[in-house]
Amino acid sequence: MALAAVVLVASLAPSAAYAQDRPFEGVTLTVITQSPPYIARPVQMLAPEWEERTGGTIDLVTVPFGDLYTQIMSDFALGAGRYDVVIFASAWMGDFAGNRYILDITDWVLVDEDLAFDEIVPTYQDTVRWGDRIYGIPLDGDVHTLYYRRDALENPEYQERFEETFGYPLGVPQTWEEYRDVAEFFHGWDWDEDGRTEYGAIEAMQRGGQAFWFFLSRAAPIVCPEGVEGCLWFDPEDMTPRIDNPGFVRALEQWIEILDVGVPGMINFDSGDVRSQFAAGQASLGFDWGDTGIIGSTSDESTIRGQLGTAILPGSLEVYDPETGEWQTLDEPNFAPFLAFGGWVGGISVTSQHAEAAYDFLAELGSPEFSYIAVTTDATGFNPYRPRHFEDFSRWLEMGFEESDLELYLEAIEASLSHPNAQLDLKLPGQPRYMDAAEVELARALAGEVSAERALENIAAQWNQITDDIGREQQLAFYREFLGLD
Amino acid sequence: MSTSRWVPAAFLMPAVVLLLLLAIFPFVFTIMLAFGRVSLVGGLSIDFGTLRNWSVLLADERFWNAARVTVTFVVVAVAIQYVLGMCLALLVNRRVPGITAFRVLFILPMTLTPVAVGYMWRMLFNESIGPLNDLLSRVGLSGLPWLSQGRYALASLIAVDVWHWTPFIMILLLAGLQAVPQEVVEAATVDGATAWQRFRFVVFPLLVPTSLAAIVLRSLEAAKIVDEVYILTGGGPGTSTESLTLYAYNVGLQGFNLAYGATIAISLFLGVLILTMVFLLSAWSLTASRTW
Repeated sequence: MALAAVVLVASLAPSAAYAQDRPFEGVTLTVITQSPPYIARPVQMLAPEWEERTGGTIDLVTVPFGDLYTQIMSDFALGAGRYDVVIFASAWMGDFAGNRYILDITDWVLVDEDLAFDEIVPTYQDTVRWGDRIYGIPLDGDVHTLYYRRDALENPEYQERFEETFGYPLGVPQTWEEYRDVAEFFHGWDWDEDGRTEYGAIEAMQRGGQAFWFFLSRAAPIVCPEGVEGCLWFDPEDMTPRIDNPGFVRALEQWIEILDVGVPGMINFDSGDVRSQFAAGQASLGFDWGDTGIIGSTSDESTIRGQLGTAILPGSLEVYDPETGEWQTLDEPNFAPFLAFGGWVGGISVTSQHAEAAYDFLAELGSPEFSYIAVTTDATGFNPYRPRHFEDFSRWLEMGFEESDLELYLEAIEASLSHPNAQLDLKLPGQPRYMDAAEVELARALAGEVSAERALENIAAQWNQITDDIGREQQLAFYREFLGLD
Repeated sequence: MSTSRWVPAAFLMPAVVLLLLLAIFPFVFTIMLAFGRVSLVGGLSIDFGTLRNWSVLLADERFWNAARVTVTFVVVAVAIQYVLGMCLALLVNRRVPGITAFRVLFILPMTLTPVAVGYMWRMLFNESIGPLNDLLSRVGLSGLPWLSQGRYALASLIAVDVWHWTPFIMILLLAGLQAVPQEVVEAATVDGATAWQRFRFVVFPLLVPTSLAAIVLRSLEAAKIVDEVYILTGGGPGTSTESLTLYAYNVGLQGFNLAYGATIAISLFLGVLILTMVFLLSAWSLTASRTW
């Protein structure tokens, strides 16, 4: 498969090794990624088979997510050359590809028929592009989707009571205002009659617990009219942050309000808490990556199997246009699914002495066949991103998915990924610094230490400082490259 | 120095030099980083010789908040640990049947790693499904926002630290109690001193050196707290439980602003050094000038 493709690459002269049965005999590839089980597990699953086929050896190095960026970046920046393959968050592409720490593999990828790169959902093809070149292979299809309890929202008695209270029918929320109403309606009483109190919503709000991505998912439909480049980040003319505009202020105020109808203690929840507590039946709705759906519908500990609904994230009937500085009022909600985190991708270090073997391994990891196994295996952390992942139900059902949950789950993810107004996560050098600065101020606003407006002004000031620290002109050039403007 | 004295010194020298390098190099490098700027764009570059990090630090609201949190945490936690540790040490210093089992029982929390302690208490503090709020609701009280409101969160962290490390103080004080000469205590008893007077005027003065060591050691450790905070609150809600070490970690290793992270770390080192010296000097002068 990938082997044949590599042979065709003239610029990176394929060796005679490819003709051999075990072409990488004696080669040891050092692969670094996150600690098991998530993300490392697919590597562990594939390694024995790859070693048997090629004669090579996989040396897997894993570190906790919080240290992964530092570990890889230190290796690159110091030129240590310890790793051949790096499996990382695509949001770090700006640091790695922008600084040319990983190989441009465009010529390998485009001729590799077995990899079928063109078949990947287009927004996920973009996660491995830097400018018009390809620096990695997509391995994961991360996007935030809405989760809700079907037994709550489809209960006729509750539907009647909800309409009496709020004046419109109870259904899957189409806007963040409706989301708030549904959460309020189901907050603080035992609506599933299990003898325990349930709550309205559940979201991750803890700094360092993916809170920034949750906030951006809420903000995207409010600040991203279709066609506005860089609506979530900076003005592409001068790198002025857009995070303090009135649209973001409204999104943050709505986020603070949801605390009143959230699961107690939600202010300290990370995405792991969202998954476990939603599966434990604590909330009527919430949102997260695909993992909540898998755990909710397949885990033996889940109390909501067969009751899980999934949908595209709510939108907004009012949209702030950062280019004109004006609000637009719409008849239909503006949706802007946020590809939070942007998925895991694999790249090859420029210092690798075994680039061909590294490509072979990565291409197999991201191949249509193996990726289908990976996304339909529990605790791999990989979510669907290829057509087959959405169309072939067989392994999903083998995995334990309730059939009634599955269709909605896959439909929602596919609809989000292929939405014309889907928003990519930031890929820019220093991305972790921008994110950390934002998370601190968001946490302060959620805790009531500062107002929403002040928190966002502080973020904008710190983002300006970070941009100046790294170099505004350089960042502007990288940012325009990320947006595909230059 | 005679040849016979040079030979062992020469043999020891490589190990000593290596040890000094290993110990001193990271420290010196961190100090240099605190006066420098690190850039990773276009490869690693480090410029030294700037005071910019320190001027930013002095105006950094988040740094001062972290310093306030750290000082509050250290003072309150160590004070409670000392009082409880003393009570427990006096309790298990008695010669009664089964006391060894009690001593082991009291020491158990200290044997757990901070990460395990953090996760255990995180489950206990869970506000919707945790046992503590469940217990409160069973006796007709409403649940408490253990970790989701600033003051409660800091108090919860202090409680966890007290639970975890009181045994450490207890062990040190127990060792000190067992070293108190029994003849002195017996003489005071013969003179008609009450139990309180024996403790106040005989035992406690003899425990002062041990107490100082216990308080200083525990304060040094408490000032570096990061694991339990990271797991229990992540420094939140907001920044209400962010310690200096956690702040340095967030800035240096999460945000990869190594120079500023080093500046925070060095400021913590200087702060701890100064406060420890002030504490020890005050305690020693007090000990020297006062009859306990």
